Amino acid sequence: MKKPIITFARWGNYTIAFRTLFEQLGLEVVPPEKTNSQTIAEGAKIAPEMYCFPMKVTLGNYLPALKKGANTIFMVQNVGGSCRQRYYGVIQEKVLKEAGHDINFLDFRAAPKDIYSAIKKISNASFWQIIKAGRFFFKKLRLIEKIEKMAQYYRPREIEKGITDKILTESFSKLEELKKEKDFPKLKREIFKKLSEIKIEKNKDLPKVALVGEIYTVCDPTINFEVESKLGKEGIEVHREMDITYHLKKLIFPWKDWIIQRKINPYLKSTVGGHGRDAIYEMLHYIKEDFDGIIHLLPMACMPEVTVRPILEKIHLEDGIPFLSLSLDEQSAEAGIDTRLEAFIDVVRDYHKNKRL
Amino acid sequence: MGIREKQILHCSISANYRLMTIGIPKALIYWKQPYFWETFFENLGFKVLLSPPTNKEIVEMGVKVADPETCFSNKVYWGHLLWLDGKCDYIFVPRLKANGEKLEYCPKLFGLPDLAKILVKTPILTETFDERKEKFEKTLEKLGKKLKKNKEEIRKARELASLKERELKEKQEFSQKIQSEKRKIVLVSHPYNLYDDYVNLRVKEKLEKLGAEPIFIDEVPIKSQISNLKSQNLNWPKFHWEFGKEIMGKIQEILNYNIAGAIEISSFGCGCDAVIKEFVEKTFKENKVPFLYLMIDEQAGEAGIQTRLEAFMDTI
Repeated sequence: MKKPIITFARWGNYTIAFRTLFEQLGLEVVPPEKTNSQTIAEGAKIAPEMYCFPMKVTLGNYLPALKKGANTIFMVQNVGGSCRQRYYGVIQEKVLKEAGHDINFLDFRAAPKDIYSAIKKISNASFWQIIKAGRFFFKKLRLIEKIEKMAQYYRPREIEKGITDKILTESFSKLEELKKEKDFPKLKREIFKKLSEIKIEKNKDLPKVALVGEIYTVCDPTINFEVESKLGKEGIEVHREMDITYHLKKLIFPWKDWIIQRKINPYLKSTVGGHGRDAIYEMLHYIKEDFDGIIHLLPMACMPEVTVRPILEKIHLEDGIPFLSLSLDEQSAEAGIDTRLEAFIDVVRDYHKNKRL
Repeated sequence: MGIREKQILHCSISANYRLMTIGIPKALIYWKQPYFWETFFENLGFKVLLSPPTNKEIVEMGVKVADPETCFSNKVYWGHLLWLDGKCDYIFVPRLKANGEKLEYCPKLFGLPDLAKILVKTPILTETFDERKEKFEKTLEKLGKKLKKNKEEIRKARELASLKERELKEKQEFSQKIQSEKRKIVLVSHPYNLYDDYVNLRVKEKLEKLGAEPIFIDEVPIKSQISNLKSQNLNWPKFHWEFGKEIMGKIQEILNYNIAGAIEISSFGCGCDAVIKEFVEKTFKENKVPFLYLMIDEQAGEAGIQTRLEAFMDTI
């Protein structure tokens, strides 16, 4: 057997943490290419036409990595419950093999036991090494999520425009280069210090907008045309609950789902796969929290999100909160999204102002 | 079932003792168990109102109200619902989640009753059919309770209905068709695309006119080979969808016969077909059976389909 050189599905800034996980296991890693219009086009070219967008995107991200010598791909199935995410692995393997790539595709279920045995088999790492790699992975992951959340707070308040995003990019590249766990606390302190030094306008009355929808499109700024940062720069505070930790928590503690179901019972009495229920729950929650707008992000024709969209629209009509649903695919252009966002921002500001009267 | 619904149900049953009408949309999930539901409710002593076969107005109505990205079959279903709205006391929209083999239905069907409630003013009669948690018979009893029918009545109605369903289904004779001299074409799709002539643009009729013998994939009998199939090395994944397993199993069976070609019909926006098509196409191509993929939606023209079918027949 050839020496495995790993690549994996790219997912926004979390890619940094995944890369660390594999590197700490002593595996050789070629990280997937950063998403850009070219990788999306390449992926869409070989992917089944009707398949959902994240699958085409991740496929496009593999291709440059495969060219650079990667020969093993990691994919998790069963993240989305009843939805098509389950078949990403099989379809990607089939498509890549048909395109002439000689690859080893590791497709495993998102259960701790399965993940452990898959990792063990490929890396021959000891139990202790796997635990340590896992711990480092979670540390990085939590930090990434934390600074993303902090940036959401700083962006609309910053005095020097664009400084938050600059610090964010710097921090992420430093975090990506960090290889030793013992240097981690120092970097963490450094990043927090930099962020806290941003000069901000305090006590600013800002309109608040929440992002809900499909987890991949909501969390990956390269896919959603940096909605978060664009809104932030326009002076709008952005919130989102969806991230990997949220998803993992739900996997480990099933009662979160029961609570969600109880809250959304008047609207939907069943799961619809993926994070369909969560979108409704979050929207209701944000309305209660006095938000000024909801943006619903979904990949074009995503089965769970399309099913719940009429319900979200109904809530929007009942309450009057501004609502914008953006479905993304390989044909959506930045200019189109920008125009819709600009119009939406006007509506949000208006709503915010009138609410105070 | 909410308290309000219960109250409405109670009032309408006790106040006026006329025959209650239950509307059933003749689209999408209806075709999963055709004839069963109408016979079931009739045997319970209700009047049943079936929506008419799909026509242009119904499709237009459905497309107008539906989410633009949902699948064509769903849009057609909304059209049928709107047609029934106001014409009956209840509209029956079951929530199908898992079948007897513990395999799931399409996730879009999970939310059907909730979305129907938003759409129409007529109260929706629903029950969750999830055989991972509860037997079909048991769920029917729960449904009967809502309609104030006791277990015995439900049992009788169910038995009669399944008897009739079996009787009507047996008319389709696979053995005769397969011995036909004409070129045999397999039509692979979901039942709601195969049996709805408006939706599939009369593809069966067209093929017959072109001198072929169309065979619907769900007519193919599955012999007791399912257990054998498991042990074999399959070149498709184990689907968690009921239709996935069924369609792939039946394709494996039909390949034993001499067929001239295969056509897959899928409705635009169908997420499940995007997965299954890959393996359907692969299986036919590996066995050197000519394969045509047709996508149907509200804009599909008959002329376009006719041309493609003619071209396909010429290549065989």
